[in-house]
Amino acid sequence: MRKVQEVDDSFFEKFGSILKQASQKAALEESTPLAPLKEVEEQDGEQKAVTDVSESRSVTRDSDSGNETLLDTDSEHEDSEKLDYYVEAVGWNVDELYLEILYEILHNVGGCDVGCEVGAQAMLSYVQEAFKISNEKHMELLTQAEAKEPPELMLNVEVIEGKDLVPKDPSGLSDPFVTIYLMSNTSHRYNTSVKSGTLNPVWEEHFSLPMPGSLQEDSLCLEVWDFDPAETVKEKMTKIFEVKDVKGLRKLMKEIAITASTGKHDNELIGTANIPLKSIPAGGMVMWLNLSKKSKLRRQGVVKVRFNFSSEKNSQVAAQEHRHLLRILLLHELESSKVAPYWWCGNFSAAAEGVLTQHAAQSGLTPLEDRLSQWVVFCSVTPDHPLSFALFTSLLDKLAKPLQSGLVNEEDRKLFWDGAKKLLPTCYSHVRKLRKKTAGDKTVMKTLREVLRILHKLSVMDVPESIDLFPTNLYGWLRNDEKLTIHEVLNQAAIQGASDWFVHILDNNECKDKTEESRLQHLIRVIQLVRSDLQRAVEYFDRVFVEVMSFPYSKVLYGVYEDKIASLVEPEVIQVCKSMKRLRYSEGSTNSVFLAGGLNGETGLGATEVGSEPLAMGTTLFELYLALQRFLTLGQGLNETEWQNYSISKFHSWFYGGVAQWLDIAAYKALTRIEKAIELDNLAPVDANVKYSSSGVDTLAIFYQIKIFWQQLSWPDVEGCYAFVAKIIDDICRCCVFFAERMSGRVEGAGSVTSVYEERFEVTTEWCVAINNIDYVRQSLTPFVAELGMDDIINRMCEARTPLEAQRCKETLQNVLANAIDTVKNKIAELLEIMIKKMMPSITRFLVEGAELLHQDCSSMDRVMRYLEDNLDTLYHHLNNENFSRTLDIVWEQLGEVLYELIQANLEHRRAKIGRYIDPRRLTKSAAAVVDAKRRPPAFFHNLHECLKIMVRSFRQDNKETFTSETLKRVEYLLKLHGMETRELIHQYHLERWQEQQAVTEPKMGLLTVRAQFVEDNLKIEIMNARNLMPTDSNGLCDSYVRVGLLPEDTFANVEKPKTQTHSKNLFPLYDEMFLIQLSSSQVNTTNGLIHLVVKDKDMFSVSNTFVGEAYLHFSEVVHTNAPISSLPQQHLPLSRPANIDGDAIKALESRQGDKQAREFLKKQRQKMPSKQFFSLG
Amino acid sequence: MVEDSDQNYGRNVNKSVLLKIVILGDGGVGKSCLMSRFISNHFDDHNFHTIGVEFMNKMIEVGGKQYTLQIWDTAGQERFKSLRTPFYRGTDICILAYAIDDRSSFNNIKTWLNEFLHYAGVKNGIEKFPFIVVGNKSDVSSKDREVSYEQLKQWCEENKIATYLETSAKTDNNVLEAFSLSVQRWADLEQKAEKELRMYHHPDTVTLHGSNNVTGFRATCCSRFTSL
Repeated sequence: MRKVQEVDDSFFEKFGSILKQASQKAALEESTPLAPLKEVEEQDGEQKAVTDVSESRSVTRDSDSGNETLLDTDSEHEDSEKLDYYVEAVGWNVDELYLEILYEILHNVGGCDVGCEVGAQAMLSYVQEAFKISNEKHMELLTQAEAKEPPELMLNVEVIEGKDLVPKDPSGLSDPFVTIYLMSNTSHRYNTSVKSGTLNPVWEEHFSLPMPGSLQEDSLCLEVWDFDPAETVKEKMTKIFEVKDVKGLRKLMKEIAITASTGKHDNELIGTANIPLKSIPAGGMVMWLNLSKKSKLRRQGVVKVRFNFSSEKNSQVAAQEHRHLLRILLLHELESSKVAPYWWCGNFSAAAEGVLTQHAAQSGLTPLEDRLSQWVVFCSVTPDHPLSFALFTSLLDKLAKPLQSGLVNEEDRKLFWDGAKKLLPTCYSHVRKLRKKTAGDKTVMKTLREVLRILHKLSVMDVPESIDLFPTNLYGWLRNDEKLTIHEVLNQAAIQGASDWFVHILDNNECKDKTEESRLQHLIRVIQLVRSDLQRAVEYFDRVFVEVMSFPYSKVLYGVYEDKIASLVEPEVIQVCKSMKRLRYSEGSTNSVFLAGGLNGETGLGATEVGSEPLAMGTTLFELYLALQRFLTLGQGLNETEWQNYSISKFHSWFYGGVAQWLDIAAYKALTRIEKAIELDNLAPVDANVKYSSSGVDTLAIFYQIKIFWQQLSWPDVEGCYAFVAKIIDDICRCCVFFAERMSGRVEGAGSVTSVYEERFEVTTEWCVAINNIDYVRQSLTPFVAELGMDDIINRMCEARTPLEAQRCKETLQNVLANAIDTVKNKIAELLEIMIKKMMPSITRFLVEGAELLHQDCSSMDRVMRYLEDNLDTLYHHLNNENFSRTLDIVWEQLGEVLYELIQANLEHRRAKIGRYIDPRRLTKSAAAVVDAKRRPPAFFHNLHECLKIMVRSFRQDNKETFTSETLKRVEYLLKLHGMETRELIHQYHLERWQEQQAVTEPKMGLLTVRAQFVEDNLKIEIMNARNLMPTDSNGLCDSYVRVGLLPEDTFANVEKPKTQTHSKNLFPLYDEMFLIQLSSSQVNTTNGLIHLVVKDKDMFSVSNTFVGEAYLHFSEVVHTNAPISSLPQQHLPLSRPANIDGDAIKALESRQGDKQAREFLKKQRQKMPSKQFFSLG
Repeated sequence: MVEDSDQNYGRNVNKSVLLKIVILGDGGVGKSCLMSRFISNHFDDHNFHTIGVEFMNKMIEVGGKQYTLQIWDTAGQERFKSLRTPFYRGTDICILAYAIDDRSSFNNIKTWLNEFLHYAGVKNGIEKFPFIVVGNKSDVSSKDREVSYEQLKQWCEENKIATYLETSAKTDNNVLEAFSLSVQRWADLEQKAEKELRMYHHPDTVTLHGSNNVTGFRATCCSRFTSL
């Protein structure tokens, strides 16, 4: 781990990537299928705490909640009552039932069924045991039973249908009917009806045959006949058209022949079957009988027949008796076989089976009655001794149809539903307590399926009005007193199960102490446990619920849980968020951090105050957030349409305060960490490919972690998103600015070279790295904001609100960002300026010393050039282009400032301000002289000017950019001026005057109109007239003339200066004079040559003539032509006077006090000043 | 002359002082209108609510100095509370706004003041922080007025707030003045605090080393020194 993260104990990593990893891990865990729950009893000490549920625990809870106990005792109580009721209703006690059973065993009916194999003796001892009858009593009752008459028994035969009968009629069909009789009594025959024209007849007809005494030897005979009524030959003949094939035709012909020959009609036997009575089981049977015929080998077809025995007992009594017996035997079975709950699925021991079958047969119970009895008994037993649910479903399968079709009388229906009433609590209890079962266990899933099947089958049946299916004493947990359907109760059972589970989770997971941390951990734990339950529901149970009952189990569960979690978590979170300590940055620390608050200020945000950790719960609060987030996602999957109605869908709103507070703390932590990062930074590039150093990387890492944190939150509410992002951008901006400031402070001392002779500043890579760092951080801002999802927020805002509002938000975010970038850019510029300013003393000194040497060659400037080159080279290689060119701009700007100072000092004859850059004691003698600001010869400035030009050439790659700085342009001009010879300077003054004249738009001193041309080497000038001359005489008029001169004076020294006639007392004189001035060809081509036209007032009495005004005509304004001058345009030149001494040239002249030429020229010019003139007049 | 040269690269001249301002007050008193009048001299009658916060900046010159004001306009509705309070931290100037035709908005100023004090972490007392109370909508007719200027004055005196003003964003009355006044107030408090600090610490010398125990005496929650 990097050292810098120690400063805040990896604060950002915790909330950023580490939290993310944790949450991803949690999400992964949640998405892996759960291991099946172990059976509750085995769960103690299981690895997964989810399953850490001890049976005793849950029992305790159950009894606490009271429902289970209520349920159990009630049903037990009712059952014993019921038993008594049966006994009373039947009018027998157990002894009498026992006697009856013994009798039945002694008079066994049927042959090859279980009873037969077990043997009468076995059955006798079995019932004795089951009924718990003493030997004495048993013998007594047995004697009674033996004395009783044999039973009057009937054999019930149902002829159901026939198949594949042999055709007997010519049509290829038969008209079959069946005859049955006992071999012992052949005369007593039973015939079915005739089914005509079919080989697959369906009869479904019932017959009861009284049973003979010799059951073992007798057998039943069954014959199938083709009915053949007497027919005429003619009638037979009409059937010829029905003949199907050759075979049929032959048969018809034979029939016709017989009929014709004998005239006798007879039924034809199709086949017979014989069944020994002992082969019929006492419980009855259904079977297909093969028909055979003596003469034929092949099968004559099959007939389906049902057999069973019955007595003439009262069926109601018999059914009740049967139920009673069933119950006694069942209880005995359960007791003796120790079968596990829910396992017994209807298999009695052989003896019991025999007894029951005998009783059913001998009591003449129909199968339906038998099943109904089973249903009633099983249902009543199962609350105490749970039986297999499959048993009930298979019974229901057989009972549902008769019940629904009305075959069952009202009394039996009531019995059925009373049974169902007892069964249902067990079913619902199973649903409620599904969690105690092993979800992955096949049998559990099977059981659930059976339970739901029972519910489903019952739910589609009509419940009699009189039945209250869900009595409140059995369903303490039902919320509603209204009449509920099975579906509704299932819903409530699921809800109740979830609620109980939730209570259970809470009971088993108390938080250890009252610290926020453990409270939050507790909540996370609860959510995880609930989630596991839901997941199990989704993975295992949901499918069955939906398939069988179309019941959205998981969704219902989710509805319960989300509400409970919401009401549990919300107040806690709000409380925790509220109690988060607000940071007091501004207190008592010496190790204060600049600028926590504003951008250019400082605030002591010491670490000491924050010592009491404001985020005591660490990342837990946000782990909880993420757990809730994942929990909501689960809910969104379960309820895609209405999840917005869940209270948990607003979970993020509980965290508003927390997130805001976190951001506040994060901002503080970021500043602290940046401070540390800069302190630790050695300002060396982190690797060879980059130009920034560790603190830049560290700072970006902070931003990255903040981004990860934010992305994890994936804040659902767009308004919150917007405000938080604005806050984050603003804070990041503060971090950037803070970084820039700290970085500047960090490099402050770097680069100074001190020796005995001098103190010099060298640009070091540290400086460059520092600048690059700031720029690196700045450049990260825009992509950072993009990654925060700004565009997405705006789009969502557009949907959620109006485009106008979205636009305003966008502008705000952009403003914040632009503001940040600008501010940091300014910081960079500031730092660059600081750096360049550090270079300036050396540059100044080198410049001054070089210029002092007065050498015309530029070698005197070598030192300054070398210094600049070295430093700029460093910058060039380390800074990016933008910052390098920014640097150059500042260099020139600063250079301009220094040079300007030198010039100004010379003009004003004062000590130059540059002294502030240099300690004079450290300067060489000559340089020190500069600072003393003696007057400089023009050569000094000339040298500087040359040097500047060289520098510009050397350090400006792009000449177009030369002198973009106004200052530098001006400095360059001034240097040029000050470097000039006095005569040049004087001419420069005239040029300035000429420029001034060009700018005049409203001439105040009159106009002079001339025409001029160069004809070969001669200047031809026509002075035409003047207008509005200034009156110079006391009479308000003027006696004017014009003198023509050429400038620079020394160039045209040999040239005449012609003048016009004097025009007296006229302010609008017409001179109309032409002069031809002879010039040499070099003179004509003088650069910046000027024609100087001076208007003067001829004064009779004074020595010199009074100056009226002057005008200039630049050589460039004069055309070279041979055309007659009259064809040229007139030039109207405004007359002017030198106003005051503020031109650069004249100032430069003024500074040359020691120069006679300059002094005299200035004197002359002063005389032209209007104020002086008027003053003299006055 | 050269000192004035403007060769900066950003939008702002970096010689200016950056000040963070928040505008607080009930919904509908015209906070956003005050801001847009000040920033762009534009009055928008369109009735919308600010969502959470809005941000704009503007340069202003007060007492010969350049200031860059970073203005955070906030949403007055209660439901935005948790969205706006994070922005209070680091504030230099707080503008408390009400509408003169809405008595309850005036009564709520105290609540706003307290909310600000809590979340901004102002510790040195109200009188040392540049608050300004602004009664907006001074353009309403006198019969609609519910808060008199005297009441404003009295309230501010009772609550130790030195600067207050009635403005109208609609008619552009006193808007610029309100901002200037608040900046002036900031500058005054700053100067005063600096002076106190010197007196307390080194009555003889005026040497200041950056941040040394400065904060206890500063006017603002994020006080500052301009470099020497």
